[in-house]
Amino acid sequence: MTLGKVLDPTSTRDDDVASPGPDAGVLAGRKIGFRLDQIWRAWDWIAEDWAAKLEAAGAQVSFWRSCGRSGEEGERMAAELKEWLGTIDMAIVGLANCGSCTGWTVRDAITSANTGIPTIAIATENFRAFAHEIAARGGRSGLRVHVLPYPLNEQEIADVKAIGEAHFDAMLDDFGAVLEMRDAAE
Amino acid sequence: MSVTLIKPSGSKIAPVPKPLVSRDCGPAGCEVDWLASRRHEAELDFEGFNAFAMEKGWGDGLPLVPPTESRVRMFLSENDRYPDEVIAHLPPSRAECTVEKIAINAVMAGAQPESLELLIAMVAAIADPDFELYGINTTTAPVYPAFVVNGPIRDELDIPYSYGCFGGVATRANAIGRAMRLIMRNVAGQVAGVTSQTTFGSPGRLASILAGEWEEKSPWSPLAERRAGMSGNAVSVFGTMGTMNVLDTTSQSACDFLEMIGKSVPYVAANCYTPAMPFAEMMVAINPICAEIVGREMPQIEDVQECLWRYASVPADLLQRQHREQLEAQGRVREDGRIYATPEPKDFILFVAGGLGGLHATGFHSFGSCLTQTRAVAAVEPAAEAQAAE
Repeated sequence: MTLGKVLDPTSTRDDDVASPGPDAGVLAGRKIGFRLDQIWRAWDWIAEDWAAKLEAAGAQVSFWRSCGRSGEEGERMAAELKEWLGTIDMAIVGLANCGSCTGWTVRDAITSANTGIPTIAIATENFRAFAHEIAARGGRSGLRVHVLPYPLNEQEIADVKAIGEAHFDAMLDDFGAVLEMRDAAE
Repeated sequence: MSVTLIKPSGSKIAPVPKPLVSRDCGPAGCEVDWLASRRHEAELDFEGFNAFAMEKGWGDGLPLVPPTESRVRMFLSENDRYPDEVIAHLPPSRAECTVEKIAINAVMAGAQPESLELLIAMVAAIADPDFELYGINTTTAPVYPAFVVNGPIRDELDIPYSYGCFGGVATRANAIGRAMRLIMRNVAGQVAGVTSQTTFGSPGRLASILAGEWEEKSPWSPLAERRAGMSGNAVSVFGTMGTMNVLDTTSQSACDFLEMIGKSVPYVAANCYTPAMPFAEMMVAINPICAEIVGREMPQIEDVQECLWRYASVPADLLQRQHREQLEAQGRVREDGRIYATPEPKDFILFVAGGLGGLHATGFHSFGSCLTQTRAVAAVEPAAEAQAAE
């Protein structure tokens, strides 16, 4: 057996933000943004229902849909995202429900969190660990991630909406959010 | 909505090679320890090192050459790059890919020192934001970068462009493709089941595809010249889902061949029809025999692209309703009721390669969001010759 020195072929980034960022706090009267994509109908349905609940509690809701990632289209998307993040107080970013879309969801969530606003990414169970891994490699290991069941998009609309309803309160908990001031006092 | 066209981003870095560094104090001429990578004590015999590398997560399962300091220094000393030069930051981690990391992975793969400048150009190409390596590295798809080389470097590095050029031919150039895959793994962090969610993967994720264009048999100008105005040594990278064979034993005319290829491209579950991405490219390798026939009738490559593009579409009602609705919402159903594989004819990327048996074309469907990149390969004079000249 001959021992010797070999050089490490790997490269990793050293910086990391382990903090989840600020809690969302009281949502009434705040501007809340939902990041959507072009692929997951289930996330559209859940986001619409959650948005209705937030609006009923006195929040203002806006939506931004991510489209192309490269070329002029990608530049336009990046500019749109930056502009949209400037109009909201907090972001709910989904949906991490495949490989690349988990990557893109987490990347946009990190962009949002790096602006300093409360941010939560939404993932499905199969992509939970992956979302955390990609967040860590993106320099924000503490990124908040709320997890929905998997498979999700394959389910009927009524079942998806029921899942959204069942997860709303847990999502708020993960976000450090309460709907109204009286909820915070309880 | 209307069809989203493929246009390169405006923030692209000019695709020219970086001037090589001065020889005044290069890696061969200084006593400074240029190598910054962490050293690990390991067994250097075959079994011991490969077990160590697998445990560390460095390997792909095939035998690796131990990247000892002496081997890495030797590799670098044959070139004119400082090891701490940062070539790119590769996603998803945006970790630094230095010349040193390229050299270490190249040594492990068994690549020759003469391949360094090509590897650097390959890394620079995949790092372009328009190549969208972030998506490639994370996706459930089997996508991987396929490289097409132009210029004399094809022969210098024995990069295949004839029989078996997309896999199977015996050449040391296979180690260059493998080195690229190790860089994707060890620097970009593409590890199946960890950072890559690839459902099935692909044999192309082991040694990649590294082929040349058989320029001498092409009736058209070389791919890199057509794409980026680059003559000489250059490499183009295309993010592909894999190879698709097209067999045609019957056609005789250019239009017949192109109709056969064009109609073979579109199928409803191809990535070019995913709603996840607004566009796609399509790369096609035409064999030299077919290219000669097509070139006689169509000396302008744009006419070939146009002909292929017109055949490469499906009627929208071929798709199930819920699929069709998503593409309709993106404006991808044209007035003629069809959905085209690519937004425009120019998005068909064509080159000539393959053996002289003809009969086959190879199609490469793209991932969608990753746009083909071309980079020049910097010229290298062997250090020993340069020193002798001095």
